[in-house]
Amino acid sequence: MQYPEPIAKLIESYMKLPGIGNKTATRLAFYTIDMNEDDVTSFAKNLISAHRDLHYCSVCGNITEEDPCEICRDTTRSQDMILVVEQPKDVMSLERMNDYHGLYHVLHGVLSPIEGKGPDDINIANLIKRLQKTPAKEVIIATNATPEGEATAMYISRLIKPAGIKVTRLAHGLSVGSDIEYADEMTLLKAVEGRQEI
Amino acid sequence: MYLSELQLDHYRNYEQVDVHFSPDINVLIGENAQGKTNLLEAIYVLALARSHRTHNDRELIQWNSEFARITGIVQRKTGHTPLELIVSQKGKKAKVNHLEQAKLSQYIGQLNVVLFAPEDLNIVKGSPAVRRHFIDMEFGQMSAKYLYNISQYKSILKQRNQYLKQLQRRQAKDLIYLGVLSDQLAAYGAEVTIARREFLQQMEKWAQKLHQEITKERELLTFRYQSQIPDDQLALDTEGLYQQFQTLYETQQSREVEQGTTLVGPHRDDVTFLVNGKNVQSFGSQGQQRTTALSVKLAEIDLMKEQTGEYPVLLLDDVLSELDDLRQTHLLKTFQNKVQTFLTTTSLENVKKEIISAPRVFTVTNGTVAMVTTEVN
Ligand SMILES: Nc1ncnc2c1ncn2[C@@H]1O[C@H](COP(=O)(O)OP(=O)(O)OP(=O)(O)O)[C@@H](O)[C@H]1O
Ligand SMILES: [Mg+2]
Ligand SMILES: [Zn+2]
Repeated sequence: MQYPEPIAKLIESYMKLPGIGNKTATRLAFYTIDMNEDDVTSFAKNLISAHRDLHYCSVCGNITEEDPCEICRDTTRSQDMILVVEQPKDVMSLERMNDYHGLYHVLHGVLSPIEGKGPDDINIANLIKRLQKTPAKEVIIATNATPEGEATAMYISRLIKPAGIKVTRLAHGLSVGSDIEYADEMTLLKAVEGRQEI
Repeated sequence: MYLSELQLDHYRNYEQVDVHFSPDINVLIGENAQGKTNLLEAIYVLALARSHRTHNDRELIQWNSEFARITGIVQRKTGHTPLELIVSQKGKKAKVNHLEQAKLSQYIGQLNVVLFAPEDLNIVKGSPAVRRHFIDMEFGQMSAKYLYNISQYKSILKQRNQYLKQLQRRQAKDLIYLGVLSDQLAAYGAEVTIARREFLQQMEKWAQKLHQEITKERELLTFRYQSQIPDDQLALDTEGLYQQFQTLYETQQSREVEQGTTLVGPHRDDVTFLVNGKNVQSFGSQGQQRTTALSVKLAEIDLMKEQTGEYPVLLLDDVLSELDDLRQTHLLKTFQNKVQTFLTTTSLENVKKEIISAPRVFTVTNGTVAMVTTEVN
């Protein structure tokens, strides 16, 4: 027996999501049929709106409803400081800290030839263009402390340092409030190596 | 430290056994396929929560059983500790002192073992890749820093090889990025090289001493670390080695792009073992090669003693029959009264009995273990 066409189509749609196979998609599709009409309507609306109303900021690459984004339009933020991160969610976490008042640049990934990501495949060209237009005093690179994150940081630094821009790397090591007892040996080692004079 | 007692439940061909061991030498005698190696493997698994023979834990469970259980009591200078390891279809559970450990890393280290099995001859006879793997495993166990540096090195190497392939096929052209990868590789390569140089020196010291004891001073074992860094530059510090590698990457860049792979770095290292100045892989006799492999592998016993203050337990699988009487005698004498030793053999005739003072002898027959009550002499 075959599923009626509306269900078959819904299953097909669910299967487009990452990590969802035939079985889960079928379960979700039948669940959706039993949901009340209002919930289903707003679910459908949210799906469309997330896609239609969100864009990447043409300046910094962050997700936004309007282009340029709220942060790029905010003239009260220091315009001569750019913090470079891997993902939009990193901007969210840093903003929650409420301590940094410069601008951002989102790379959407790191350099990784194995995953087919070369210098042209992440948002680096835009960063260079941006700096040529309005040179910043300092670029802070906050990619993760993975080998790929480090390589990406070094690469960016080599591109922009010749222009006389100060490039810094966000210190990594023990996170604030984490317990030394539970930190693994390498984190500790890094923290000790990266110690700062006070 | 030593293992005073071992119980097996549905482990390989053992339905259920309970054995009490001597803190000194334990001899396991049995015909082929009776369970001698299985018993040594069980001790190894109790120590490290993995087998030396298989990656598939389920193979350890007796056929048609749900789970296998190994329990043992470890005696140390500071007291005794019961250990328990359960392997089931769902995974492993490890207990120290009857308390389940959330992480295997908290469990491992309670019982230290060094195992020598016939396949370890490959340390001498095998390819450089076998030796590099051996060195990385040994040194990684001793130093978290080494483990970190070698794993970083390997993941950068993969990226760099992939990028060199893209450059070779003209799918990429950015040489600044290649330079970044070269510098990264040079930095970790320098760390790996320095650690290997230091660890190999320590290991050579102990292996040399052992080799001399086993051969009654007839043979001098030396190591030669083979790196692309010239011998006279190997003594450099991290910064110096880093610059050496950088220079090599610069001069080899066009060749590397042409071939689409990384030609320079410690992933090309090797170590040569020399007996009385001659490369034992090319010129050594079977017995010399075996003795060299033993000395190199068993150097870990003294390294562990240095690190932890206690000797590990020594497991020797099928080793004696391959050595002449003199080498057997001296191998066993070296560890007698210091290191608890388990050795397997198919017949007592393979063991020079008079050299071992009061060994505890067990016969292994089709998954059962029986202590031989009469002392051999
Ligand atoms: N999961 C298992 N369940 C039951 N029996 C097993 C299991 N795994 C292996 N065996 C049996 O264990 C026996 C091999 O035991 P082992 O390797 O210890 O032999 P051995 O005494 O060391 O022999 P040799 O002298 O040839 O090295 C084989 O007969 C094999 O069929
Ligand atoms: Mg065997
Ligand atoms: Zn923006």
